[in-house]
Amino acid sequence: MSPEALPPTRRSFLRAGTAAALALTATGCGFASADDPAGRATAEAPIDVKVDGDLVYFNWADFVDPAVFEGFQKEYGVKVVQSNYDSMEGMAAKLNAGNRYDIIFPTAKWAERLTAGGRLRTIDHSRLRGAEAVFGGYGYFADPWYDPRSAHTVPFTMYKTGIGWRRDRLGDLTGSWNDLWNEQAKGKVFVLDDRDEVLGLGALKLGLGLTTGDHGDLARVTDTLRSLRPRLRGFSSDSYNNLLNGNADMTQAWSGDMAAMLAQAEDPTVFGFEVAREGAPVNSDCYAIPANAEHPGTAMLFIDYMLRPENVKKNIEYIGYPMPVRGTEDTYAALVEPFPQCVVTADDLGADLFFRNGDARVEQARDAAWTDVKAG
Amino acid sequence: MARTQQTGTEIPPPRDPAAPHTPPPARTRPRNRPQPRLWTWLLLPGTLWMTGFLVASLLLVATLALGTTDPLGNPRFGLNFANLTALADPAYRTVLLRSLGYALITCLISLAVAYPVAYAIALRGGRFKNLLIAAIVVPFFANYLVRMYGWSVVLSDDGPLLRTLRAIGLADDGTQILQTGVGVIAGLVYGFVVFMIIPLYAAMERMDTSLIEAGRDLYGGPLRTFLFVTVPATRQGAAAGCVLVFLPAMGDFVSAQLMGGPDQIMIGNLIQDKFFQGQNWPLGSALTMLLMAVLFLGMLGYLRRTRKDEAEATR
Repeated sequence: MSPEALPPTRRSFLRAGTAAALALTATGCGFASADDPAGRATAEAPIDVKVDGDLVYFNWADFVDPAVFEGFQKEYGVKVVQSNYDSMEGMAAKLNAGNRYDIIFPTAKWAERLTAGGRLRTIDHSRLRGAEAVFGGYGYFADPWYDPRSAHTVPFTMYKTGIGWRRDRLGDLTGSWNDLWNEQAKGKVFVLDDRDEVLGLGALKLGLGLTTGDHGDLARVTDTLRSLRPRLRGFSSDSYNNLLNGNADMTQAWSGDMAAMLAQAEDPTVFGFEVAREGAPVNSDCYAIPANAEHPGTAMLFIDYMLRPENVKKNIEYIGYPMPVRGTEDTYAALVEPFPQCVVTADDLGADLFFRNGDARVEQARDAAWTDVKAG
Repeated sequence: MARTQQTGTEIPPPRDPAAPHTPPPARTRPRNRPQPRLWTWLLLPGTLWMTGFLVASLLLVATLALGTTDPLGNPRFGLNFANLTALADPAYRTVLLRSLGYALITCLISLAVAYPVAYAIALRGGRFKNLLIAAIVVPFFANYLVRMYGWSVVLSDDGPLLRTLRAIGLADDGTQILQTGVGVIAGLVYGFVVFMIIPLYAAMERMDTSLIEAGRDLYGGPLRTFLFVTVPATRQGAAAGCVLVFLPAMGDFVSAQLMGGPDQIMIGNLIQDKFFQGQNWPLGSALTMLLMAVLFLGMLGYLRRTRKDEAEATR
């Protein structure tokens, strides 16, 4: 993996900078309806796996090795038309506005919402040559909570949330969310700028449900997080840059970003990554084909192409996130050798600490709690 | 017209038919007279565009503030006053007051920075004037986000600024700029100071420099002349600059996001969160209305002030 392959502007940076997206969403906001029986019937029709046009691709920036795109374009004689989003909300807003993409990469929570809203085509796994390595190797994804029998999705990446820290400044940590309250790191601690992740760490520390919407629970969570504020330097999803440029001694971080950081660090041994014993939120991005995709056949071919072991390995090395494809585990383990906790195991998935969707009341309560945490 | 006639009667023009005296007001008058209809037509598209889109988007935001969000994140219109009552949360007041404070300080610092720059370019720039203005404006063509990101690197703990300050003993290991109010205001000033320099420069260009000479003739030192002659003569440019800096600074969210810590969140960050993280567009709209209400008060003050100034100027 070459450092040039990993510019500092990836997912986290894009999350931080949403100025452009604000303008785009503001102009692109349509108010399309999902209640359309005819649309549902099309959405459930099986897709012929064949080239039916260029691939209109919509993902986080820089989340697939360019060499893999090139291979796909050459082999099937199509073009990949790329666009990027910087948040799941931005992605959904574009879909809601009626924009047409052939392939998108929602997180588990968003896969559930989009499926429930009838926004995704069904994917017949028997038509994908690479499906066996995924569903046979990772039983969890054969029937995940967010999409029964993975009928509309194929898992793309897996990751969990932990703590990245400067070993040279803090030494060893204890492997608990309590480490964020470490006296030595005072004033140099960051948490992610993400509602679910931050409320989630408070809930896990207190032994509460990860995505609780209960007012009493949330009050305890916000109290706990308030006690973290004096130690906190900021809310930022740019974890690895904060560690690299010395602004952070410790930061809540996604395992994939920490793995990506290894390629940039001059001396990786000064950094550490741990996963708290109280539990680590786990997540997964999926391949999905929107119901209004114009070239679903090409999208199916693309998924199959991406699932070829040699391409999976290239992508793992490029983005730093493990992929649930049997036979690629060694590639990832070698990549994150200094941070073995980045590996996502069947046990991690089994613990099922995914962020779940709540009803309107729950979402509102969590929103208010997040405002309290953030605005103090 | 009445005035011209009066002047004509009080100071009779020389009775030389070969060199008829034209009084100055008569020379400027015809510019206002011809084809009023043409001007109306020229103004029409812009005015329609602005009112249409401003009013339409304002109405959209106002009605959204009373709406809800469906499970897919689509905003739904309705009559739900929960978003407005949610604004009573004291957290919003704290953040709003903080944003006001930051925006005001940004204005003051920008004034202090922009006055000497504008003064030097306008009055001492000579043949380099255009070059100097270009040197200030051209960097601002680069994407705002990219510049702010770069600025955050400059101000970071191991960044060039603090490293230099530490090397010459002006800062110690614990000194931080990022994630402090100073960092956020530095970002805001860096981002918007050009909007202060340009109107001030324009005002100084238009200023009658003989006033400065007059000030000196009356034994004013450089500082007194500046304060009592230059500043009053350019106060309209300063007021325009303050509005141009204050409005975007108040609503900015990038600076607090990249340069601020947990105690520097601004109202723009909360609005951005509502739209992008919670997908709570209705509450985001309600917050936007609140911000606009506050900004509207500021604008009203500015408009009254300029109207008064104009009234004085034309008296």
